[in-house]
Amino acid sequence: MDELDILKKDWNKEENQNFPKLSYNDIYKMLLKKSSSTVKWIFIISILEFLFWTIISFGIKDNESMKRLKGTDSETVLNVLTVLGYIVLCYFFYLFYKNYKKISTTDNAKKLMENILNTRRTVKQYVGFNLVFVVVSTVVVVLIEFNQDTHLEARVHEAAASGHIFMFYSKIILITAGILTITITILLGFYALIYGILLKRLNKNYKELKRMDL
Amino acid sequence: MNKEQEHSFIALLERHQNIVHKVCRLYTNDYDAHNDLFQEITIQLWKAYPKFRGDAKFSTWMYRIGLNTAITLYRKSKRRVTTQDFDAVQFRIKAEDYDDTEEQQLKLLYSAVKQLNDIEKALVFLYLEDKNYREISETMGISEVNARVKMNRVKTKLRTILNP
Repeated sequence: MDELDILKKDWNKEENQNFPKLSYNDIYKMLLKKSSSTVKWIFIISILEFLFWTIISFGIKDNESMKRLKGTDSETVLNVLTVLGYIVLCYFFYLFYKNYKKISTTDNAKKLMENILNTRRTVKQYVGFNLVFVVVSTVVVVLIEFNQDTHLEARVHEAAASGHIFMFYSKIILITAGILTITITILLGFYALIYGILLKRLNKNYKELKRMDL
Repeated sequence: MNKEQEHSFIALLERHQNIVHKVCRLYTNDYDAHNDLFQEITIQLWKAYPKFRGDAKFSTWMYRIGLNTAITLYRKSKRRVTTQDFDAVQFRIKAEDYDDTEEQQLKLLYSAVKQLNDIEKALVFLYLEDKNYREISETMGISEVNARVKMNRVKTKLRTILNP
């Protein structure tokens, strides 16, 4: 008897055929479970992203231009905006976490489809909020600076005196718009890359579920 | 897939699930990996089911998809197996059931099989499952002659591993 036949004898012994028996429902659940890992990643990445921005904001707290804001209304407004931003972000974490919990415990295809759609909506709102937040806070700070920064005020008067006030304002607006466009493009690129991939996967799973449910 | 198809698929899989378990047994070394592979094969089977025409037996088709999934997963993660892993967890051989020499021999044999590459393992798996060369060739998509040649090479390789 060659080696493989010895092995075959053992392989087919009854005690080596005892595997945990999965029920119909266990198998059905297995087919649904794929979404939960994607949603878990959405949750994890949103936290990492949050940490990233927090570290960045601490990093720039002490630089020159931030110091100039000290004592002006901008500082107060920025602080209010930051706190507001964090509150909204925390709310989004909560939503992401809730979605994750829901999806990982669902064993009903209809519910799972609803949850997938919910998650997709939450992610879109999250991205939308972040973009609007960047635009609003930039515009607000620029406006306040114009009213309060003595250095800037002097430049405005100078420009007014020499008759170039229109040029001066157009320049400021163009520069602000330029910086905003670049920031938003980078942010959009980042979101499209990371959340885009995850959402695409969710969408694929959603379509599969839908086909299965028809 | 419609509801009816889905039902028949899950019922069939429920009945033949041991095939998937056995593939997992040969290709993984611990409980978690076993479960992961089981789920992955289940998903692949489900995705492929609409194309299953019934011209092959469901079980033959399961062997094919199961082995393909195990082989591609194995390639992706490039998991290499060590003998210690397998000794500890996989084949819960009860010591009292065997005399020392037979147990020892089986351990060596299983660990030798674990050292084979993914394709060779698939061949051994089908052989252990008592498939004839025609069935092996159908499942693996190679000719019967090729299956015989490959099988002989595997046997030689096993012997070399066992008696270096």
